[in-house]
Amino acid sequence: MIRNYFIIAWRNLSRNKVYSLINILGLAIGMAVTMLIGLWIYDEITYNDYFTKSERIAQVYQTQTFNGKKGTGPAIPRPLEAAMREDYGNNFNHIVMSSWQQTYYLQNGDKNLRRDGHAWQNGAIDMFGFEIIKGDRNGLEDPNSIMLSENTAEELFGDADPIGKVIKVNSEHDMMVTAIFRNIPENNTFDEVEFMVPWQHYADTNEWIANALQHWGNNSFQMFVEIKEGKTMEEVSQLIGPVKYEKAEGEKEYDPVMFLHPMKDWYLRGDFENGENIGGRIENLWLFGTIGLFVLLLACINFMNLSTARSEKRAKEVGIRKTLGSERPQLVRQFLAESLFIVMLSYLLAMIMVQLSIPSFNELSGKTVEIPWGEPVFWICCLSFILITAFLAGSYPALYLSSFNPVTVLKGTFKAGRYASLPRKVLVVTQFSISVALIIGTLVVMKQIDHSKNRPVGYNKEGLIQIPVFSKDFEGKYDLMHEAFLRSGGAVAMSGSMSPVTSVWSNRSGWTWEGKQEGFQEDFAWVEVTHEYPSSMGLIFTDGRDFSREFASDSNAVILNETAVRYMGIKDPVGKLIRDEDTGEEAQEPMKIIGVVKDMVMQSAYKPVKQTLFVFSKEGNINYYNLRLNPEKSVKENLELIEQTFKTHFPALPFQFEFVDENYALKFRAEERIASLAAVFTVLAIFISCLGLFGLASFVAEQRTKEIGIRKVLGASVSNLWLMLSREFLLLVMLSLLIAIPIAYYIMQNWITKFDYRTNISWWIFISAGLGAIFLTIFTISFQAVRAASGNPVKSLRDE
Amino acid sequence: MIIQVKNLEKYYRTDEVQTIALNKLSFEVKEGEFVAIMGPSGCGKSTLLNIVGLLDEVDAGSFVFKGQEVAHYSERQRARLRKHNIGFVFQSFNLIDELTVYENVELPLIYTGVKPSQRRLQVEAVLEKMQITHRRNHFPQQLSGGQQQRVAVARAVVHNPKLILADEPTGNLDSSNGNEVMQLLTELNKAGTTIIMVTHSEHDAQYSHRVIRMLDGHKVTENIMA
Repeated sequence: MIRNYFIIAWRNLSRNKVYSLINILGLAIGMAVTMLIGLWIYDEITYNDYFTKSERIAQVYQTQTFNGKKGTGPAIPRPLEAAMREDYGNNFNHIVMSSWQQTYYLQNGDKNLRRDGHAWQNGAIDMFGFEIIKGDRNGLEDPNSIMLSENTAEELFGDADPIGKVIKVNSEHDMMVTAIFRNIPENNTFDEVEFMVPWQHYADTNEWIANALQHWGNNSFQMFVEIKEGKTMEEVSQLIGPVKYEKAEGEKEYDPVMFLHPMKDWYLRGDFENGENIGGRIENLWLFGTIGLFVLLLACINFMNLSTARSEKRAKEVGIRKTLGSERPQLVRQFLAESLFIVMLSYLLAMIMVQLSIPSFNELSGKTVEIPWGEPVFWICCLSFILITAFLAGSYPALYLSSFNPVTVLKGTFKAGRYASLPRKVLVVTQFSISVALIIGTLVVMKQIDHSKNRPVGYNKEGLIQIPVFSKDFEGKYDLMHEAFLRSGGAVAMSGSMSPVTSVWSNRSGWTWEGKQEGFQEDFAWVEVTHEYPSSMGLIFTDGRDFSREFASDSNAVILNETAVRYMGIKDPVGKLIRDEDTGEEAQEPMKIIGVVKDMVMQSAYKPVKQTLFVFSKEGNINYYNLRLNPEKSVKENLELIEQTFKTHFPALPFQFEFVDENYALKFRAEERIASLAAVFTVLAIFISCLGLFGLASFVAEQRTKEIGIRKVLGASVSNLWLMLSREFLLLVMLSLLIAIPIAYYIMQNWITKFDYRTNISWWIFISAGLGAIFLTIFTISFQAVRAASGNPVKSLRDE
Repeated sequence: MIIQVKNLEKYYRTDEVQTIALNKLSFEVKEGEFVAIMGPSGCGKSTLLNIVGLLDEVDAGSFVFKGQEVAHYSERQRARLRKHNIGFVFQSFNLIDELTVYENVELPLIYTGVKPSQRRLQVEAVLEKMQITHRRNHFPQQLSGGQQQRVAVARAVVHNPKLILADEPTGNLDSSNGNEVMQLLTELNKAGTTIIMVTHSEHDAQYSHRVIRMLDGHKVTENIMA
């Protein structure tokens, strides 16, 4: 029986090549898109699967309230460690203090590498399950030890055994290699870690960290934990919730609440608003999951439409089979088997398409997905996918075709009824509504990205590079290098800053000023800079003046951005003082406001600029040199001159730099990737819809051959006939527009409100989506309509 | 008695009009009989054949098939009874274009659940009997009308039904092919198969034992053939 079904299916396919091609191609594209999206989703949800204990690992987070607004983040104070160990230690297998990701210079002889890594306590090795392939698992217990990744070890030592060897870290510390860990694969939080150093080393070699040991207000660290088996994240979160509030008297006003952010949520649910987790990347999963389903649905609709449109051709067979004793369920099974057969063929084609498109897909999505051929779960998913698709595409045609009455169809009088095409029309409208909604959605996303990209950033990011200067070698050399770089002719301006130009690394509170409201809980972005920062960045002053070397008092000067002025509620700020709230011995000297600049976008381009204090860096807290390239020379020339100068002064250090405009562009990368993927999928969705329309148009033209012949004989012109054949489809597409536009508007209006800095949804988006859909419809159906209308009427009438 | 029909009624309804296709029709067919049904177009012959063939439903009256009252059988019950007991031969052959001769003939056996090895034996035997073995791998459109009707007859008899219903079996054939088909039916009848045949052809009717003549859904006369 099954064989018989497949024979019929195959022969039907091979006899109706155009329909078969449309069906198989449409389904294959739909399935390929869904599979690619499936791979993408799989890659996203398996992020951090590298860690075998991921179910029990968490990061300690903190929610604090500033001026009634809750803020949540992973930064915690150092004294938390002792409190956690003493009071709650029995809940954890590991409590691990950690730095943020660090960039260090690692030097062995003449080899000097700049690599990213972490400083953390020894428990990290066991907790995260890093594989030590050589050396001592407890190698981080000695403060002067370092663990290297296989790659880094090989780069530094070649074939020699690195264990027990001493390397220079940041040109300052001699550290012994105690272990080599297996390279951490991609797709997890720590996949950039190339070295690990002991937390104790990190704490001992930075004065500010040592000073933070008793300072509950200094939230500058990270803490990772592994909870004991049998404990839940929720119950441990409840337990540790009030720890800081109870221990830190001075912090009570911020109502700090500690909690565990489970590792399984780090990647997909990393966003918090008002103290609540509001998801994050998971939204993209839903977005693409929905797009994938829609694209598959579009392809299935083609299958349904073409199968039922051709029902008159299959009616006779249904009649004969019923006469010969076939029951309806047998016929339903037969048609489902046929759709299964077609879906299987489409699946094979889809697999080829996926395999071929994976390199481009990876480039577009910034991923390194591959088809997991060896995973049984992959094959189970494929099988389910084929069955579900076959059922989705085949069930309606199966039920429809199997319902025919054998008496009617065998009499040869069978004609699909007046309303027989209604479901087809509904499906076409569904298809085009989805396609138009996807077009509108993609256009709005692109417009929003464009809007944010073109946002005035408050400084000139073109021709600006930044050189990271983390190594001890750079200490105290700013003035020397400033002069050297300018003299080289490769740069026309230079400044130093604590944070990179496109980020803010520090936030400070604990300040007061004249007119500050009682109980106001301030929180400023804090950027330490050298004298030349505002001028080298091209910041625009709206009040006051720039830092100046001529005024010795500028060592206590501060420049505000406009948002800070509004935030502080200060009138005529220039000349006023910002004081440390702490009046004790350690209190910082008052800072004098010398100028106000237009807001400079350093953090998210989608959010309002934070109130920022640009503070003169007294202690040489400089992590970046920012150089404005000489506009009179080529970029290449400038870079050569700068590198020469750099190498003259730091021959042992690698010369590395970043273009600020490229760094700024990175802020949009995630959204641009999402938009590009959505655009590609939308184009494919439209293509599938048009493919279906093309098939239907050819069917309608074929069905109306006789009518067209008679009309031609009676004097109808080709354009009359074209209009007659096209009108119905155009009406359907216009109906789709009426449905899609309000739905898309509603959804996108909701979406866009998540951006504080947002574009408006312009009318032209709807007009262009609508015109685009109409144009595509005309283009698709005209081919068939004109062909049918230009046919010889004598032939079509004789055929009858 | 294989068929007993009493006061059979069948109506066709369009939006506003109701047409009577069969009007209190009664007749019987004995096992092994060869009955021809004749009458002008629209008199209800084909409707009767469809009802007797369990393809169509009855609106009123009684229809006893092999001793069972089947007038109110569901579609499923009718399909089950039909596939084991009845073979059809149509004027327009009604072969499935996408299947070969062999596969077309095999189809009733598939639906009656005959095992593949047994199927092969039965199909080969009937193809040989109909002298179309050499055409077994051809598709219907590659055959002449006469050959197609032989295939249709082969398909109708392959599962040894008790009853063959033939709806103008020679209507689309020339006289020579027509005669061949009538010979085939006669042989089958002689072998014990009951045959009911709708025909316009007096010539074909002469092959039968009895002719029922109909008009406007009634039985008008019934003649025993010599």
